[in-house]
Amino acid sequence: MDKNNSSENQEQEEQVVNPWEVSAKGKIDYDKLIEKFGCQRLDQSIIDRVARLTGRPPHVFLRRAVFFAHRDFNEILDAYERGEKFYLYTGRGPSSEALHLGHLVPFMFTKYLQDAFKVPLVIQLTDDEKCMWKNLTVEESQRLARENAKDIIACGFDASKTFIFSDFDYVGGSFYKNMVKIAKCVTYNKVVGIFGFTGEDHIGKVSFPPVQAAPSFPSSFPHLFTGMDNLRCLIPCAIDQDPYFRMTRDVAPRLGYHKPALIESLFFPALQGETGKMSASDPNSAIYVTDSGKDIKNKINKYAFSGGQDSVENHRKYGANLEVDIPIKYLGFFLEDDAELEYIRTEYGAGRMLTGEVKKRLTEILTEMVERHRRARAAVTDEMVDAFMAVRPLPNMFR
Amino acid sequence: MDNNISSENQEQEEQVVNPWEVSAKGKIDYDKLIEKFGCQRLDQSIIDRVAHLTGRPPHVFLRRGVFFAHRDFNEILDAYERGEKFYLYTGRGPSSEALHLGHLVPFMFTKYLQDAFKVPLVIQLTDDEKCMWKNLTVEESQRLARENAKDIIACGFDVSKTFIFSDFDYVGGSFYKNMVKIAKCVTYNKVVGIFGFTGEDHIGKVSFPPVQAAPSFPSSFPHLFAGKHNLRCLIPCAIDQDPYFRMTRDVAPRLGYHKPALIESLFFPALQGETGKMSASDPNSAIYVTDSGKDIKNKINKYAFSGGQDSVENHRKYGANLEVDIPIKYLGFFLEDDVELEHIRTEYGAGCMLTGEVKKRLTEILTEMVERHRRARAAVTDEMVDAFMAVRPLPNMFS
Repeated sequence: MDKNNSSENQEQEEQVVNPWEVSAKGKIDYDKLIEKFGCQRLDQSIIDRVARLTGRPPHVFLRRAVFFAHRDFNEILDAYERGEKFYLYTGRGPSSEALHLGHLVPFMFTKYLQDAFKVPLVIQLTDDEKCMWKNLTVEESQRLARENAKDIIACGFDASKTFIFSDFDYVGGSFYKNMVKIAKCVTYNKVVGIFGFTGEDHIGKVSFPPVQAAPSFPSSFPHLFTGMDNLRCLIPCAIDQDPYFRMTRDVAPRLGYHKPALIESLFFPALQGETGKMSASDPNSAIYVTDSGKDIKNKINKYAFSGGQDSVENHRKYGANLEVDIPIKYLGFFLEDDAELEYIRTEYGAGRMLTGEVKKRLTEILTEMVERHRRARAAVTDEMVDAFMAVRPLPNMFR
Repeated sequence: MDNNISSENQEQEEQVVNPWEVSAKGKIDYDKLIEKFGCQRLDQSIIDRVAHLTGRPPHVFLRRGVFFAHRDFNEILDAYERGEKFYLYTGRGPSSEALHLGHLVPFMFTKYLQDAFKVPLVIQLTDDEKCMWKNLTVEESQRLARENAKDIIACGFDVSKTFIFSDFDYVGGSFYKNMVKIAKCVTYNKVVGIFGFTGEDHIGKVSFPPVQAAPSFPSSFPHLFAGKHNLRCLIPCAIDQDPYFRMTRDVAPRLGYHKPALIESLFFPALQGETGKMSASDPNSAIYVTDSGKDIKNKINKYAFSGGQDSVENHRKYGANLEVDIPIKYLGFFLEDDVELEHIRTEYGAGCMLTGEVKKRLTEILTEMVERHRRARAAVTDEMVDAFMAVRPLPNMFS
């Protein structure tokens, strides 16, 4: 995202979206973002195509346009129809132990993609990035990476098809060779334009983008994809990661590689509303996977921004403002039943259903989700983490 | 070296010395260089101290002022006197197969240091650097690294005390962790000041300095130096490498590491004179380790710049200009016998000895040297290269 300082652009630059900053005056304008970034909307025809090709209903995040934009997803589907497989690549920057629901979104969707298309997956834990940006020690960022791996594994990935790696463990060999090849193709001016680095930034930051680009190319994983240089890559991620992969797609043809395809999600809204920021320092801005049922009920009731009217009388008269109501938005993410969601939206929008009911339903859903996650995570042992992170071939990765 | 383009500095900036460019109007002024870089002259007292501590005569390169500058070499000797060992670190950028005599100088000296002090040695082959700067493919730079390793091994290093590594093979793990720690401590502005990078340079170049810095810290080699965090490092190198290690020494205390010490050499003069440039594209600018006795004789006779007078008569009258005479300079490097060298200098300087005699003696010495090297290199097998490059402990490295 160009951080162009000319005054002309500053008027247009009401919103800033890059891997380290997401902010806007008011809500994020996703239409403008798609236009500025140059990616495509995910339309209904693609969603129908996915359902047809995978023989199962499309994931709730597709139906509700949580994943709403893409680059070359059609080409992935074209190739898949021809019998050509692909692999998935997603990641996490392990900056804290506390994961919230927004962090789970890309992993929930990626698990669906793995199951639906029966393809392998690599997951990058960018402990080096967090060490560099968050001023963590090497040891601390590695520790966080392993802790986060447990939450990721708890999302239900198939160990026979999934390779999780931390940069501090894995960078080297073929991966490092690709980092160098990529770095040769990107000037300093270019990364300034894409990421907004300045002369006072340390060179670790400048050298990082190739690290996040490298997993887009199958030759970075010789233990998995030797001899499969033509294997395509699909990257599910939040749209703030787009700059890394715009850069990568620009470089790929010069290295004789396929451009990675992307499928991108909106930002998960903070409890206090779309204009708020989820922040690790404000525990009431998000629902964490470590929250108890009581915490969840309390946070939803007290902090979830309501689009309902200020009195029951007004609410029955005017109905709720669905555009700003956070519980409705959260239900959009996590209530799988389209019919029930439509019902709630209609009733609440007309004022026949009250805020309390909506929040109660949401609390039920989130509590069940968080408790399932917590049980799954408690069952993840260090041995399982080692298994997912072992550098090993995945002989059944396309079954 | 600041490539500062202000006009005030341009007057002072008659000479440019950095890892990618060495040039001057006329000869290099080493006094100015030492002053500008901020390193120290190696004086006779240090040389005497070395002889005293090692129980053997100091190397010809010390006696002749070839290695003439240092940083903290006294501290290395202080520690050594207290019974504290150190390790050696030197390297080569494998940009070509053809090594010339100038390339051998740091390796000849490093072998002496290894034998005299009985210390281990790591040798870095910066194939990633050459891939990035010389636009070689990864495979080609790796191949050159292995070929150059054979010439290096032919210099006679002790395999039980020497670890040779190429970056493309070795970067990763603890080494990569140190690269990241170092990179965090150096801003982009700083590397611009030290190395002269510009916005049009690719980010591979910007990210490279930490790669050359990392071997200065023992924790980069856990298979060698685990638990020896206090082990000091001494870096023999040509003085154009000083910028890398100025940067490294600046960073070291912030990481809780010892600053590496340096012992630095002059530049090896080109055959055609101090103001000339040795260039791989001009085979007559240097003596190569692949030259035959006939080539050497021919090159010395035809191309070695002579400080002798233009006629025998004038020569007998005025004597030779020893300051510019290349054969005399080369003898300074490679004729070990101080007495003989002094005799030649006196006689030639007085005009009693002719250029032809000097060149003949030089040819003898170089031919013997190059033939010894060629025999040694022919005896280096791929298995020996693998042995030197294997990641293995060196249990006898201080014996």
